[in-house]
Amino acid sequence: MRFTPTELTEAELHLQREVREFLSEELPPGSHEPCLGMAARKDKDFSLKMAARGWVGMALPKEWGGSDRTAVDRFIVVEEMLRWGAPVGHHWVADRQTGNVILKFGTEEQRERFLPAICRGELGFSIGMSEPDSGSDLASVSTKAERASDGWIINGTKIWTSGAHENDWFVCLLRTSPMEDGNKHAGLSQLLIDLKSPGLEISPIPFLDGSHHFNEVTFNEVFVPDTNVVGDLGMGWHQNTTEMAYERGGPDRWLSPFSTVEQLLREAQGTDLEDTVTELFGELVARWWGVRNLSLSVARLIDTGEAPSVESSLVKEMGTRYEQEVVEKLVHLIDLEYSPDSDSLFERLLAQCVVTFPGNTIRGGTIEILRSVASKGLKGLPT
Amino acid sequence: MTEDILVDPLVTETAHRLFSEICDHESIQAAEAKGQAPEIWDAFAETGFPWISIDEDAGGSGGSLLDALEVLRLVGYHAAPIPAAETGILGGWLLASSGQELPDGITTVVPNGGEALTGSAAGTEVTISGRALRVPWARVAQRIVVPLVIEEQTVIASVDGAQCDIEPMTNMAGEPRDTVTFENVRVPLALAAPGVDLEAFRFRGALSRAALMAGAIEKMSQLTVSYTNDRVQFGRPVAKFQAVQQHLVWGAQDAALARMVAETAAREATRGVAQFEIAAAKLVANQAAARATKACHQAHGAMGMTQEYPLHHLSRRLWSWRKEYGGDAEWSKWLGKIAVSQGADRLYPLITGGSAALN
Repeated sequence: MRFTPTELTEAELHLQREVREFLSEELPPGSHEPCLGMAARKDKDFSLKMAARGWVGMALPKEWGGSDRTAVDRFIVVEEMLRWGAPVGHHWVADRQTGNVILKFGTEEQRERFLPAICRGELGFSIGMSEPDSGSDLASVSTKAERASDGWIINGTKIWTSGAHENDWFVCLLRTSPMEDGNKHAGLSQLLIDLKSPGLEISPIPFLDGSHHFNEVTFNEVFVPDTNVVGDLGMGWHQNTTEMAYERGGPDRWLSPFSTVEQLLREAQGTDLEDTVTELFGELVARWWGVRNLSLSVARLIDTGEAPSVESSLVKEMGTRYEQEVVEKLVHLIDLEYSPDSDSLFERLLAQCVVTFPGNTIRGGTIEILRSVASKGLKGLPT
Repeated sequence: MTEDILVDPLVTETAHRLFSEICDHESIQAAEAKGQAPEIWDAFAETGFPWISIDEDAGGSGGSLLDALEVLRLVGYHAAPIPAAETGILGGWLLASSGQELPDGITTVVPNGGEALTGSAAGTEVTISGRALRVPWARVAQRIVVPLVIEEQTVIASVDGAQCDIEPMTNMAGEPRDTVTFENVRVPLALAAPGVDLEAFRFRGALSRAALMAGAIEKMSQLTVSYTNDRVQFGRPVAKFQAVQQHLVWGAQDAALARMVAETAAREATRGVAQFEIAAAKLVANQAAARATKACHQAHGAMGMTQEYPLHHLSRRLWSWRKEYGGDAEWSKWLGKIAVSQGADRLYPLITGGSAALN
């Protein structure tokens, strides 16, 4: 494990300036209700505008509608979007992971069918992993795909499926052959499933604050054609693990409370800050600077062709806990009785952080699972 | 990105090998008991490592500040009981920047010279009086360097250790941190070069500690991974238990974080202005040290609380270094003022751009 310090090249700094200019025009600071990280509003128009700049699916090859940009370039765009609180919800999953999965494991026909549409910002994807009885123990999924002519018949239930009620497709991890004794990782496959398929029922699971992100997706004899199988049959576990590496360690795992902190400073400007609040800002910029450098070095490592799964798990485990720590520090220091309907934007954001951030250390793999992944890769003393 | 600045791999390799040979548990323990480690120092000095980053013309070994900080990282990694920072990038730097001779032996520096001591200049001489606390390794130093302000000018006084009264004291790691009394000590007047002042010295001190701490946290993390893989309870290595894995992961994260910030600050300081990076690196390293020592001690159980097991060489140094050249409050206040003065719209550019965003 080694996180090598890296820095942005002139061309990368140019991209950063471009993104900042775009956001200053589209979402002038102080004029919009920022989103808190990747659980952002879905705003298809905004996604289309980003896509027109080449910033959706940007690391995908040009021949499939992408821009052949690097993981670091994507890091820069994502980082700016998130710290701005931009409404990136519509294209988020497709841009972060589904596009990569289809590129890496999909057929030519699937690439043709999905990648250009992803890069145009048109398609929204959900993730079909968890089931009622399979959360952290993901390999125990039991939703079955059974052979039919030219395809598969699916029965079972997926759960916690964010955005299924608004998105177009999801990639599901399904059991395509019965569980073998002692090898639960075998017999799993990834299938692309149209969320409008007949027999597929989507029911909301209201989030604790009443908002609608989560769904339960029930399959009742849903037909999926052979042409929607991603990669090789039975290789789903391996593909899914690869997919997770894209999901971890990026700015979405440590930037979620940034808009809240920035808004505190905006609202406090011109007032005399207590020393403890000034010190908190000092502490936060230092730590964010450090964590960002770690996360950036992971992106740079990906560009050298490595799959830094230990490094990205370490960053995600640390980053998501840090997000919660930031909120706790704000709550501790700022002596206000904030609520979701406060007049102050800062107070509204803080209330939202308090209520929703317990999920940050759960989504995309709990920190307990991440610790288990990361600790296997840790090295002791050199011998 | 301006030009790439890289550590000379030979420096890393040679220093690592040297310390691996001369710096083991017993020799560190012995140094603590005796209050000095002449064998370790002599072997270290023979390589010229203490004077890396000081021009050869000025009596140094040449090389970059980045290389000097890489050596300090390895001093921290091996818990080498020697005044490497004081002799080189702190005391040596102050002497060289005021055109004064570098001694062959150990140089130390009064960490808060300007505040603790009074000085007056007359003609070509400076007279210093007062009591300086927590001076590293003063008891074995050939020269004690005192940076202080006299009549609004930064003066670098180079004092012979024999001219002072030295009372042996230690930090929590048993490293010498002596009380030095100066009584009308007279030395030649030497002015610091432009850009070298008490503030620059404070930052450089913090940079030196961040490098030492990065090394110590990394070694501590590795030691903990090794120990928990060897130690068997309930029929399997304790590293297999999720509750223990948590401590291993936390230690490894803080090792990575501390090294990242120390190396980034080192790179920027080698290029030029790096106040933001140094302040942030010291603050992050301080907090990483606090978390990592806790996690690593917990994972070791009772064994980590003994003198016979080497964890304490690292953890006690980290607890001491955390407070040297600025604790959490000093640097979070400094950084907080910068952040607040930048304002909301410039807050994120500060995080991505560091010192460069302040120009």
